[in-house]
Amino acid sequence: MSEFLATIVRGLGSGSIYALLALGFVIVYKSMRVISFAQPAFMMAGSLLVGYLVLSMNFFLAVLLALLLTALLGAGVERLALRPMIGKPVFVLAIVTLGVDIVIRTVVNSFIGLDIRQMGDPWGLQQVDVLGVQVDQRHLATLLTTLIVVAALFAFYRWSRTGLAMRAASSDQEVALAQGISVARVFSLSWALAAALAGLAGVFLATGIGLEQNLWLTALKALPVIILGGLDSLGGAVLAGLAIGVVEAVVGSYGATLHPIFGGDFFLVVPYLLMLLVLLVRPYGLFGTREVERI
Amino acid sequence: MGIRRGIAVTLVVALAVLTGCRNDAPQTQEGASGVKFDVGVTKEPCPAAVDQTKGCIYLGSISDLTEGPFKALGVPITASQKAFWQRVNSAGGIGGFEVDVTKFVKDNKYNPQIHNEVYAEIKPDVLGLTQTLGSPTTTAILGDLKSSGVIGVPASWTSAWAFEDVILESGTNYCFESMNSVDFGAETLQAKSVAAVHFPGDYGDDAAAGTKVAAAANGMTFTDIPTAPGQENQGAAIQKLIAAKPDLVILSTGPTEAATIVGGAAQNGFKGQFIGSSPTWNPALLKSPAAPALTALYRQSGPWAPYGTDTAGHKALAAALDPATFKAAPNDGYTAGWVWSYPLKAALQKAVDAKDLTRAGLLAAVKSLETVDYEGMLPAAAGRFGGEPNDRVFRQSLISKVNPAAPTGVAVEKDFFTGKTASGYEFSKPCYQ
Repeated sequence: MSEFLATIVRGLGSGSIYALLALGFVIVYKSMRVISFAQPAFMMAGSLLVGYLVLSMNFFLAVLLALLLTALLGAGVERLALRPMIGKPVFVLAIVTLGVDIVIRTVVNSFIGLDIRQMGDPWGLQQVDVLGVQVDQRHLATLLTTLIVVAALFAFYRWSRTGLAMRAASSDQEVALAQGISVARVFSLSWALAAALAGLAGVFLATGIGLEQNLWLTALKALPVIILGGLDSLGGAVLAGLAIGVVEAVVGSYGATLHPIFGGDFFLVVPYLLMLLVLLVRPYGLFGTREVERI
Repeated sequence: MGIRRGIAVTLVVALAVLTGCRNDAPQTQEGASGVKFDVGVTKEPCPAAVDQTKGCIYLGSISDLTEGPFKALGVPITASQKAFWQRVNSAGGIGGFEVDVTKFVKDNKYNPQIHNEVYAEIKPDVLGLTQTLGSPTTTAILGDLKSSGVIGVPASWTSAWAFEDVILESGTNYCFESMNSVDFGAETLQAKSVAAVHFPGDYGDDAAAGTKVAAAANGMTFTDIPTAPGQENQGAAIQKLIAAKPDLVILSTGPTEAATIVGGAAQNGFKGQFIGSSPTWNPALLKSPAAPALTALYRQSGPWAPYGTDTAGHKALAAALDPATFKAAPNDGYTAGWVWSYPLKAALQKAVDAKDLTRAGLLAAVKSLETVDYEGMLPAAAGRFGGEPNDRVFRQSLISKVNPAAPTGVAVEKDFFTGKTASGYEFSKPCYQ
């Protein structure tokens, strides 16, 4: 039983990383109706910055500073690469984000180098006893941090003036403009938030063994998460991220006991299978808004 | 408009005819020394020739240089081979020729399709390949290598290469290396059970096949644990290891996956010993949180001794490299690139001696190699390339132990040996097939 619970916690740890990444996708989508493929680059940039900053300061301070810098990078990308493209088809904007991703990752890779860069985190591979279950400290830290960040994010959207402005702009940009809301500022803030969330996911992903160039591939797992949760649902992104993390971990550990075909690396395709299943039943995801269009 | 269109059509047709006429089998020529040659060899000197009076042998290099998973190996291998051939050229070259390995260097990003494309691009200009990195990537061009008689030096150790005439491999393969590791575990570590944690494909599956054979030969229980790349994907493999509790684990993954598994298992109280195939090690892991577990539980098996070992070849390698470059990112990719170059040098010398530096001449020279002088990095007998795979395959490997003071973090614990399983194994097909 404790082995199963440890699997669940491990899944929640991975799922928290997927959720942080997916939240960034959703925030940008809600503000601009664009899927930002630049999230992997922000994830790598955030963790790389921590890897450098931690050499001269405390890990937590390094994380805060790195996330601030990553947020500025996100806002800068929006201002320089996306803002001039507003009004163009969303497909064009999505392709621009793809280009941004490649450019930033190429620069980041040159700084990572060929080896593995350490995060200097306090958890390493150590474990802690939680109600008789041995769990990795870093998984626990990831889960707790994600819960705090998500709570803060929801509070920000619910109660702050800026959060309200972002919701209004997401609902109807023209009406929001008429109410004096700066939609341009909303765009910038969305990209900054998304970049910082991706950076945070990258930091937690690289705890343990370290940051290497191929880590960006994990960010792609956020794609089935946002489809599963619904492209415009923050809550959906969190729940779907955690669910996919747990399902992946359980299938990875116990899939082979059901049938050999579910063993090996079958768990890697599980998120995509889940996504396909949900798309068949609910094309807008589990929590996405059903769009009504005049035809 | 009509005239313009006519000119355009004529130009396109002319270009097509010219392209069609271009093939990679130009007229055989003969150099001043009486050596005949065709593709990838010129009477003109190499771009960076030491001796301007010598001709040039162009060798291609296709490696993982920028964003693939094995770039940490591909970059030092390529740098090391450049240094190797520079040393050869400085020492007088090969007969009346020098060797260039810098003009036709391509990045495959560890993608078989890209590998195939860049190979087609450089094939008309090179005599052979001084490096073709990766098993699936090399498999993508194998058919053409065979039909065109192009020799390729693989940067991989799968057992399938022993069955290909055009592949000039060095050292033992993953399969025999794993057999020796299991025999070592049974004899030295008194292991009674073994697990193979491995990637799918002709790297991991080859090592797992060797592990399974040796487990049966030693009467050990065997657990097969395939795993996927990615450090975040190793949780299930760790859990299965802890459940199976083998005395010995043979790893054939990447370095970060290996460190995650060893470190994660140790945290869960796992006491078994790990022996990883050569690609599982990266000295940078000694700075990771897994370092104590690696130092306590991990060994590396390898086809030759690591950088810094006391042989003439290792010393020549150290002398040829820029110390600052090596120190910035110490890696045994440098050692591998250097060792892999010896048989090609021997074959080129033999082809020049036979006055036939055509592709066919080089292939014949390769097949006639009975020994190769590896300057002590490998026994000369490892350089036998003629005859049946079962008779000529090199079965010896080494075991190294983590030693933070060593240049690449590992030092030899047991020198070249062939375990009883590998000695008696009938090698009639690639182990994983």
